[in-house]
Amino acid sequence: MKFVDEFRDADLGRVVATEILGAVEPGRHYKIMEVCGGHTHSIYKYGIDDLLPANVELVHGPGCPVCVIPMGRLDDGIAIARNPEVIFTCFGDMMRVPGSEGSLLEAKAEGADIRMVYSPLDALRIAKQNPDREVVFFAIGFETTAPSTALTLKRAKAEGVPNFSCVCNHVTIVPPLRALLDSPDLRLDGFVGPGHVSTVVGARPFHFIPADYGKPVVIAGFEPLDILQAIRMILGQLAAGRCEVENQYTRVVPYEGNQRALEVMAEVFELRPHFEWRGLGFISQSGLKLSEAYADYDAERRFSAPGVRVADPKACQCGEVLKGVIKPWECKVFGTACTPERPIGTCMVSSEGACAAYYNFGRFAREREVV
Amino acid sequence: MTECTSDHCITCGDDGVPMSVLRIDEQRGLALCADDDGSKSTVEIALVEPVAPDDRVLVHAGVALVRL
Repeated sequence: MKFVDEFRDADLGRVVATEILGAVEPGRHYKIMEVCGGHTHSIYKYGIDDLLPANVELVHGPGCPVCVIPMGRLDDGIAIARNPEVIFTCFGDMMRVPGSEGSLLEAKAEGADIRMVYSPLDALRIAKQNPDREVVFFAIGFETTAPSTALTLKRAKAEGVPNFSCVCNHVTIVPPLRALLDSPDLRLDGFVGPGHVSTVVGARPFHFIPADYGKPVVIAGFEPLDILQAIRMILGQLAAGRCEVENQYTRVVPYEGNQRALEVMAEVFELRPHFEWRGLGFISQSGLKLSEAYADYDAERRFSAPGVRVADPKACQCGEVLKGVIKPWECKVFGTACTPERPIGTCMVSSEGACAAYYNFGRFAREREVV
Repeated sequence: MTECTSDHCITCGDDGVPMSVLRIDEQRGLALCADDDGSKSTVEIALVEPVAPDDRVLVHAGVALVRL
């Protein structure tokens, strides 16, 4: 398959791994954060961490949209879904995320009409097919997914579909990165930048990382060679004393992003003053809500929901995992009380979550000596 | 409606699926596209227009985000 097979070539992978070995300073420990959950998934699916020297540590970032949804938001969604007139729609992984009183899947088993969709456009189609029902879409995701919700809402407005609305949980990538960089818990050497978020926002929003924090960023694709090459480029910058934003994923990511996507997002959404992130707490101007022009399509205005903050279960350490402070297997309930079949925390739900990625691909704690 | 049948949720995972444009419905701003396995779906093309049959696009959550 073009642009896929080439980036899974094992021989080339070994060559890049050897280059990485040659680029590290013995005795120095490198902490590199992969921001995107898609990268986390690829790293453990392809065993990329096994190809790295022991002194290159990959830290999993907050870029899994399911993992960062706080319990209170999910409880609000479930409360709306329990309305008899509502058909509630959401992406697949969202169904299994535990709220304080069960998941959407459990609410569905109890009779709520909850349906999984692949795209918000599917939810709009359901609304048009069911004019006597209220169809609500539970929107999650970073800037990759937000344009899809925005275009769907534009289409709903243009076509006059009154029974469609949206619970907007879209988030933006820069504020949590800044929060992580400001956190005293974590000292990072560089970032593997998100590939598909960057198709929308471009490379420019990441310039604050080298400019304000002196760390390199390399935007990367999702195939094993993409990630290895990005790590090689980060180590190359560090060895040369450089820090800048580089784009490894040039075959997909334009430097300027997609201006039309940014324009449609600016029309349909506006920033919330604060939004709660699971594990990271409230972060200013990090979440999106519907703009006044689209207020009629805002499910949070159309339906009543508890709207209360719910603390994470005490046993769950998703917050520390999302901040990269602990590894998944260091959580007290990893693989015992918390499994993909019965998750306690969000990181075990989505396979982009660091805990599920470790669990599914059998990557358990191991002692490795520093090179 | 497409179901998430792969080993991870492609929408939640910020996955982009490379697809080929087969046919365009200009009036509705939609295109019929096929992925490399031949699976077809209707894709919103407002963010990448103009596209033509045989063009390659990266699709996420039913929307073409970039022309490849």
